[in-house]
Amino acid sequence: MKEILIKDFFEAKKKDFALSMITEPKTMENKIVSPQLNRPGLALAGYFERFSSDRLQIVGETEISYLQSLKENVYYERMRELFTNAIPLIIITKGLSFTTKIEQLANDSNIAILSSRLSTVNLIRNLSKYLNDYYAPEKTIHATLVDVFGLGIILTGKSGIGKSECALDLVSRGNSLISDDAVTIRLIDDVLVGQPSRDFGHFMEIRGVGLVNVEKMFGIQRIRQHKEIDMQIELMPWQENMDYERIGLTSNYVEHLGIHIPIIYLPVSPGKSVSVIVEVAAMNMILKKFGYDAAEDYAKKLQEEIKRKTRMRNAITEQGIESF
Amino acid sequence: MLKKTITVTNKLGLHARPSAMLVKAATKFRSDFFIEKDGMRVNGKSIMGVMMLAAEYQAQLDLIADGVDENYLLDEVEALFSSKFGEE
Repeated sequence: MKEILIKDFFEAKKKDFALSMITEPKTMENKIVSPQLNRPGLALAGYFERFSSDRLQIVGETEISYLQSLKENVYYERMRELFTNAIPLIIITKGLSFTTKIEQLANDSNIAILSSRLSTVNLIRNLSKYLNDYYAPEKTIHATLVDVFGLGIILTGKSGIGKSECALDLVSRGNSLISDDAVTIRLIDDVLVGQPSRDFGHFMEIRGVGLVNVEKMFGIQRIRQHKEIDMQIELMPWQENMDYERIGLTSNYVEHLGIHIPIIYLPVSPGKSVSVIVEVAAMNMILKKFGYDAAEDYAKKLQEEIKRKTRMRNAITEQGIESF
Repeated sequence: MLKKTITVTNKLGLHARPSAMLVKAATKFRSDFFIEKDGMRVNGKSIMGVMMLAAEYQAQLDLIADGVDENYLLDEVEALFSSKFGEE
């Protein structure tokens, strides 16, 4: 599991979450190890069964006003007991604070406390999003990610098959590039999101030319930082006996991080304009999303025509005419 | 060149799915392949062509193959028709 050093978390998010450091810097060497948050209300009331101590603890106005309602020695005792757990970090919301004695106790127990000026609801919402993003399952694949008419398409296929050249063609036709050669796919809220694997900018290797900078060459409107992935197109050399889709009545799917997306196996041969076909595949997918399926439409018309002819044939046979 | 006349025996006729099966089977061979119905002749390796025939149940089709593996092609295509494309 990934970890976040609290010191780094504080530096990165102090502005966004309006954070300030309460305990000594040495406590900031602790690590956040889980994307989950916990409100320690029941623990403060003395119930420590099933207490999720490994989670980041959020203490709001309710908890503070409850603690303040306790006798000072009970307050101290509860906090002492809470601090016997290896809690990575406590964030107090609305700029509230514990007593100085408790802060001292936290320093001694090596538990980090930060204070946020945000409301509890706001902090929890934003923090959850940040942590879920950070802890999102991810993998990096050998592919090129392009945005074609608003659809995120990953182009896959063996080295040298022409993924970059196809992407370049798509970009020069007005589509945009997210990442060439390596794409990091992350699962965020049950959606696959692709982004460049390195933050070096939008470079691309074009065989025979070398590296090109897509942003410098085509402008900022031709690149994107990340994009939801809607489909995959696998470029492959033309094979005689490969079972290519001819009508489109059946769809193939491929799995990434537990999510299935449509995949098209696209035979590539000299003289075929792959980028145009990728655009056509994208438009066909958009039409399907809007409820129109060309394959179904044609199949239905064909079926009706066959039915009509069958009725005609039956009628003729009944009349005793041998052939027509 | 080989020519064979067959009858469509599946109730639904040569609709989209059987057409695709037919074309896929024929494409595996090197010979040219044509289908003729009521004087209309289409390339048997082209899905749009085969579907355009809209061949119904009991319709008669002429299968024409021409090339080095023409008999293998016709055998396989005929087998598809006699299996009713896995339908009724």
